[in-house]
Amino acid sequence: MGLRGWLGRLAVGVEVPVFPVVGGGAREAIQDLRLRPELELVDSPRHAAVMLVVGAFPPGDVDGLAQVHDQLAPPRRTVRWGGEPVASLPDAVVVDGGEDAVVAAITETFAELMSDPDRGEPPILPDVDPVEWRGVGPYGQGGMGMTGGTPYGRPMAERGPARDGLELDRVPITIGPWLPTLPPGLRLDVVFQGDVLQEVEVGPAPIVPGEGSDLFVRALTEPVPIAEMELARARHHLRLLAEILRVEDLAVASRRALRLVHGIRPGATGEVERLAAALVRAGLYALALRGVGRLDRPPPGPAARATGVAVDARSDDPEYRKLGFEPVTVEGGDAAARVRLLLAETVQALELAAKAGPARAGGRGVVEAPRGRLEVGEPPPERTLLDLAPEVLVGQEWGDAVTIIHTLDLDVEAAGREIPV
Amino acid sequence: MGGLGAALVVLLAAGLAALVARWLSSVLEPTTLTVPERVPFTGGMPPQVHAWNRFHIRYYVMALLFLAFDMEMVFMYPWAVVFVEEGIVALVEMLMFILILVVGMVYTWRERGFQWA
Repeated sequence: MGLRGWLGRLAVGVEVPVFPVVGGGAREAIQDLRLRPELELVDSPRHAAVMLVVGAFPPGDVDGLAQVHDQLAPPRRTVRWGGEPVASLPDAVVVDGGEDAVVAAITETFAELMSDPDRGEPPILPDVDPVEWRGVGPYGQGGMGMTGGTPYGRPMAERGPARDGLELDRVPITIGPWLPTLPPGLRLDVVFQGDVLQEVEVGPAPIVPGEGSDLFVRALTEPVPIAEMELARARHHLRLLAEILRVEDLAVASRRALRLVHGIRPGATGEVERLAAALVRAGLYALALRGVGRLDRPPPGPAARATGVAVDARSDDPEYRKLGFEPVTVEGGDAAARVRLLLAETVQALELAAKAGPARAGGRGVVEAPRGRLEVGEPPPERTLLDLAPEVLVGQEWGDAVTIIHTLDLDVEAAGREIPV
Repeated sequence: MGGLGAALVVLLAAGLAALVARWLSSVLEPTTLTVPERVPFTGGMPPQVHAWNRFHIRYYVMALLFLAFDMEMVFMYPWAVVFVEEGIVALVEMLMFILILVVGMVYTWRERGFQWA
């Protein structure tokens, strides 16, 4: 056995480094994989051996998928979980079935790859520079820029005035749509100066909504059990909290929030309250969230309630009024207030679920969904939040921008849906 | 072994280490990356401009802070020598001095001096 074979055998025993590419309807499935001890979901394809493609995508070539595939360090393999094969990734191993089936397929694929690296997939894109590196001189030398011509086929960034009067490069970068630090499918066309965002535009999302019905959309037209709705709200809030904690580098607390999602029961608020206290002790608010992304006039929903405004469609619902419902509010309007509200609303939802019994609410054409007011004939709250994003993100440092994106709960998949009339 | 012999041994060892490192690299990673494989990852889309870009580190803020704490150390050496003789008085005086420096640091922080961009 050669040196590579020996190292490969050692590698088989470790967690499989997987880079997730998440399409429509797969956000929760990929989140649950983070609890599996066999896998390590990594944030960059450079650290991964297996690319896991899950969820719904538009037909044909999908923007950026072939590029991400080639950015995995060779040797690499691709696994497609559920759904149709993706045209951009012809060599993917297709897996149908549940979580156990995909974990088994990934570990098996990884073991094969480590025992014989030659079975890795070749690059998909052609090995050519986008533009020839050539200056104006007879030998390709000279011209504009640091070295003349366009080094490695790309022009140099332009300069512009920075906030203190110095000249600083303005670097246009497309971030996403497959960056695991951002919500699935979110593509931001930004201009950086240093790590400050100077311009932000939300680009087209290369994912399509997944299958499955939304309980809150159903509640627009027909009464549904309040307990079910409130449990769904608590689950949603805990999943969002897990994402926020993950991007704030609190991986253990993030997994703790995810485990709560699976063990959720009406009235069982103790564990959520203990998690909330642990987050205060971890310094989450003081170190990462306080003063970040303060909103003055947020749209109705949790973001507004985190500025102290008691706006909630449930207040007008007679069934909720019978339960003594009053909207939870938190003062501040920043990311810290939004996370505090998230936890307070989770506790409130679990209490309401316990109190509601078989009571039903809905069918009034308006409902308070987890991300805000959902109303027949109006754009979904996710679209309003997504439209707000560029204005809020300009002027922020990148780290704070990521915090704002997650605490605003941006979701391009839900923003693209139409509310049935 | 004279000085020349020792230098030769070091030269040989360094040359051998370089060769072993090259051999190990070629054994473990024999492939050459293509252009798309070398592109920096930003989420799947190709970069629009080259990664070489000019970035002001703003050394002047760092230089000022360094000077402040450098001077602090200069004063601390003689202070350490007389500390045992002077006792609590010296300790209080030094604490006052450090407090003044800390005020300067807090001022820099408030003025966003530590933000690098």
